[in-house]
Amino acid sequence: MSSISFFRPANLSEACELLAKPNHLAVAGGTDLIVKLRNGLFPNAAALVDISALPFKSIRKEGDRLIIGSGCTMSSVIASPEVNEYFPVLVKAASTVGATQIRNAATLGGNVANASPAGDTIPALFALEAEVLIVGQTGKRKVAIDEFFTGPGRSVLKAGELIEGFALPLRKTSGAFLKLGERRAHAISKINLALNVFNDGQKRYRIAIGSAAPTVLRCKSAEELLEKAGEIDAATLEKAAEFACETAKPISDVRSSKSYRKQMAGVLLKRALKAVI
Amino acid sequence: MENLVKVTFSLNGRQVEAEVLPTMTVLEMIRRNFRLTAAKEGCGKGECGACTVLLNGEPVNSCLKLAASLTVSDQIVTVEGLEKDATMQAIQHAFVSEGAVQCGFCIPGMTMTSYKLLQSNPDPDEHQIKQALSGNICRCTGYRKIEAAVKKASETRRNK
Repeated sequence: MSSISFFRPANLSEACELLAKPNHLAVAGGTDLIVKLRNGLFPNAAALVDISALPFKSIRKEGDRLIIGSGCTMSSVIASPEVNEYFPVLVKAASTVGATQIRNAATLGGNVANASPAGDTIPALFALEAEVLIVGQTGKRKVAIDEFFTGPGRSVLKAGELIEGFALPLRKTSGAFLKLGERRAHAISKINLALNVFNDGQKRYRIAIGSAAPTVLRCKSAEELLEKAGEIDAATLEKAAEFACETAKPISDVRSSKSYRKQMAGVLLKRALKAVI
Repeated sequence: MENLVKVTFSLNGRQVEAEVLPTMTVLEMIRRNFRLTAAKEGCGKGECGACTVLLNGEPVNSCLKLAASLTVSDQIVTVEGLEKDATMQAIQHAFVSEGAVQCGFCIPGMTMTSYKLLQSNPDPDEHQIKQALSGNICRCTGYRKIEAAVKKASETRRNK
């Protein structure tokens, strides 16, 4: 480990140039990377590239979008008046990440770039239809959040690219984020679910389930059902829950079993709907 | 060859310098280079909170923060730096009088997190205390006495 180099680039082009080199790892909050390094997950690491000097820490309105910088910590997302006003589901999701000490360091960009199927802010970003703003040596590109992940720990992010931030359509929403873990605080999700409800002339529902497949999934069947139903009665609720269970394609692992996760997808959706409507 | 990184930052109110390895954590640095041994490594992965220090006024897990990433504007405060602080003293006395300390390993982290809680919320209720301390694990006391100690410290401070 002692042959690893350390860089703290002051600008984007320098950062992207460094990250294009083999085994150069980006580090922001460090809450995930340091654990992985210590556990020997990066035996060939050549350098750590500290990206926390880059200008990725603002939350600002840009036209009909709110741009949340990738370097914003969970705590700064939770404290943001704009995020609270428009995107309660993201505030709720960020509030469940780790404990205070973790939330003061862990960044939104890191949670997404890690591409864990259990990352808590990811279903919220799915439900809010976020775009991932990516910068690289050759320029910028945008990727819809539901096209960003390619598998557990994998994404479309290439060597030399960084997440600059997230663009969220600016509209008033109401939402719920629910997760099941070993304990109420400071747990990795067995399964989690984000629900975002907004009105664009018609009531819209966006539902995303995490830790229930190799990547987070949208549950479009339930979304359509709820939008067509208008009034949500007990039968609609049951049917939506059934769709959520069908959407979930979980595995059994150290945190939970396949059958429990599948069943809980429906339970969480019912609870989330009851909380919001 | 070892790639040492030179860092300058504030530690307990004093500007200090250190030469650190790229993978060295703030916890390793404050314990080895500065011999400040209150903060401890429990789990080494951000679950137990025994390594909690204040970074720019906010509690963080020092076992997960790279020392090399510290800059001249960064301020680290450990329990040792709060020796003469009235709130920290009230917390420490309350932990002793309520019997909230058994083996003691988690206590520096517990008191640091409690310190931040009482700074931002002088009169926390039971739920708020539990929430604030959810990132600190104690394997001896069962938490009841720790919660009582934080409550008592908040009363002591408010009655001053």
